[in-house]
Amino acid sequence: MTTTDHRPARVAKAASVPGTATAPPRKRKRISMAEKKRRRAGWLMITPSVIHVGLWTLIPVIATFYLSFTDYGIFSAPKWIWFDNYVEMFNDPVFMQSIGNTIWYTFWTVPVSMAVAVVVAVLLNQGLKLQKFYRTAFFLPQVTATVAIAMVWLWIFNPQYGLLNAGLEAIGLPGQAWLVDPQWALPSVILVGAWQGIGIKMLIYIAALQNIDESLYEAASLDGASAVRQFFSITVPMLKPATFFVFIISIIGAFQVFDQIYVLTDGGPANATTMMTYEVYRSAFQEFRMGMASAQSVALFAFLLFVTLISRRVTKEED
Amino acid sequence: MTLPTIKALAISEEVTVAPRKRWFHHAKGRQAVLVNILLSLGAITMLVPFLWMVLTSLKSPAELAQFPPTVFPQEWMWSNYAATLDAAPFGLYFRNSLVIATTHTLITIALGAMAGYALARIYFRGREAIFLAFIAMLMIPTYTKIVPQFLLVKFMPLFGGNDILGQGGSGWLDTWWALIIPGGLSASAIFLFRQFYLSLPKDLEEAARIDGLGEFRIFAQIYTPLIKPAIATVGLLTFQESWNNFLWPLLVTTSSDLRVIQVGLAVFQQLDNTQWQYLMAGTTMATVPMVILFIFAQKYFIQGFTNAGIK
Repeated sequence: MTTTDHRPARVAKAASVPGTATAPPRKRKRISMAEKKRRRAGWLMITPSVIHVGLWTLIPVIATFYLSFTDYGIFSAPKWIWFDNYVEMFNDPVFMQSIGNTIWYTFWTVPVSMAVAVVVAVLLNQGLKLQKFYRTAFFLPQVTATVAIAMVWLWIFNPQYGLLNAGLEAIGLPGQAWLVDPQWALPSVILVGAWQGIGIKMLIYIAALQNIDESLYEAASLDGASAVRQFFSITVPMLKPATFFVFIISIIGAFQVFDQIYVLTDGGPANATTMMTYEVYRSAFQEFRMGMASAQSVALFAFLLFVTLISRRVTKEED
Repeated sequence: MTLPTIKALAISEEVTVAPRKRWFHHAKGRQAVLVNILLSLGAITMLVPFLWMVLTSLKSPAELAQFPPTVFPQEWMWSNYAATLDAAPFGLYFRNSLVIATTHTLITIALGAMAGYALARIYFRGREAIFLAFIAMLMIPTYTKIVPQFLLVKFMPLFGGNDILGQGGSGWLDTWWALIIPGGLSASAIFLFRQFYLSLPKDLEEAARIDGLGEFRIFAQIYTPLIKPAIATVGLLTFQESWNNFLWPLLVTTSSDLRVIQVGLAVFQQLDNTQWQYLMAGTTMATVPMVILFIFAQKYFIQGFTNAGIK
């Protein structure tokens, strides 16, 4: 990195070390003249981005924490109420249910799609003729809009005319009122989430597989290890860092599920599929309780931070 | 965007998309057949919803009311698409999405490339602090900033009837400003650009400087042409994210004129949830541009997703 870095700081430091302090000031000034121009250019180039990120990310984040301690309904000034929002939030059975649902959704979608993704990645990594087609197929749900995809699933789940019930009937199983039945609504949403989440995980696994040193497999083959044995004693351990990475981004993604809930169930039936994000949305944009919504989004942030920190600690210990 | 984004970049810097030869690469005969069968089943599972979407969009209402459903339309109702455009202004929604996604892409490339270049190749005071701040901003989930972002838009001073303190009107709500400005740049784009500029050699700029080129010309004429693949990658990811975005346009617009296609779909479904052939035709229109873009620019998408890690 240092080769591409321009640090006059290093020159300046050397000059200020006692003993070399006799460096001629004339030379220093010449460097700073050229540098001055460059620094100005650097600042000019970065200023628009600093303003944009500052205005639309930094200020909102600070504001979220501030607003979470207030009672604020847009039309009157925010009123400081200390921890009342938090107290109310954790006594609210619907919000508690949304935490439970979010965790349950994450608990199922993440491992299921990770397991499918790793198997597909390993199979795809064998240089099959059709591998490009397969990769495209598995990745397609990732590039298309969640809203559009959820719309298709809404039709597939249709209890009267839906493809899923037709398929079940064909093999002699009873159909269900998938998204309307409190028992089946959350599993249905989980199915869509897992289906959509495979692509990106597969891609990261493929990248990781290509970084495994081929000679490991050659050596194992010479020792007579079977393909299955090689998978468990070479591939699986070598994929550990990628697995950690996929695990974290998947959890972060799953915790922020929103679009498909909006389209498929609207959080129902009877809050069976409401999520933390959905409660933030409801508080802010249906009830106009901005303070409460902020408190709920702080809770969501805390969960994600917790997951990230834990995983970092685990990864560090592994190293 | 999140912390792991950064880690992913570190991991996958030299990742190539093309598969290398692997241990039972020469899998032939029964084994290859088995693997192909497994993967085909998986691929079909992934593709069925898309095929079903297109097939449904071409059936008549009477046919859709049959159970069990037919696979292929008895009569291919291509007229459904024209009827869909009559039922809701999907053409307008489509155009709005296109305008917004294109503008986001252009702004992100222009501002992101400049910022990335400055962070990678120019030393100035405060650079490290700014870089760390950008990384911290990468970790902020959407839902931790959405409420104040909405309030910022609502209370934007001197717009939409607001006074200098942002009171009295609706600010940027229900305007193009709200759709274009906040989503116009992301910390992750800046970060990706920085990584690409860092990977370029230093002697080019030294030569350029001897020739007397200013910093902006070195940026625009020497280095930026060298990162064309990076521009394609960041551009496509931005376009895709913007085209597929739902929550933000849903929150800040109310009038039909400013509706983007994803919101248009949701509204159409809520108002008219029995016309499945039209809904699926609309959904096909919302999906097809991304599918085509993905198939033709797969290389850049895959590079981008492997680098950026998350949607």
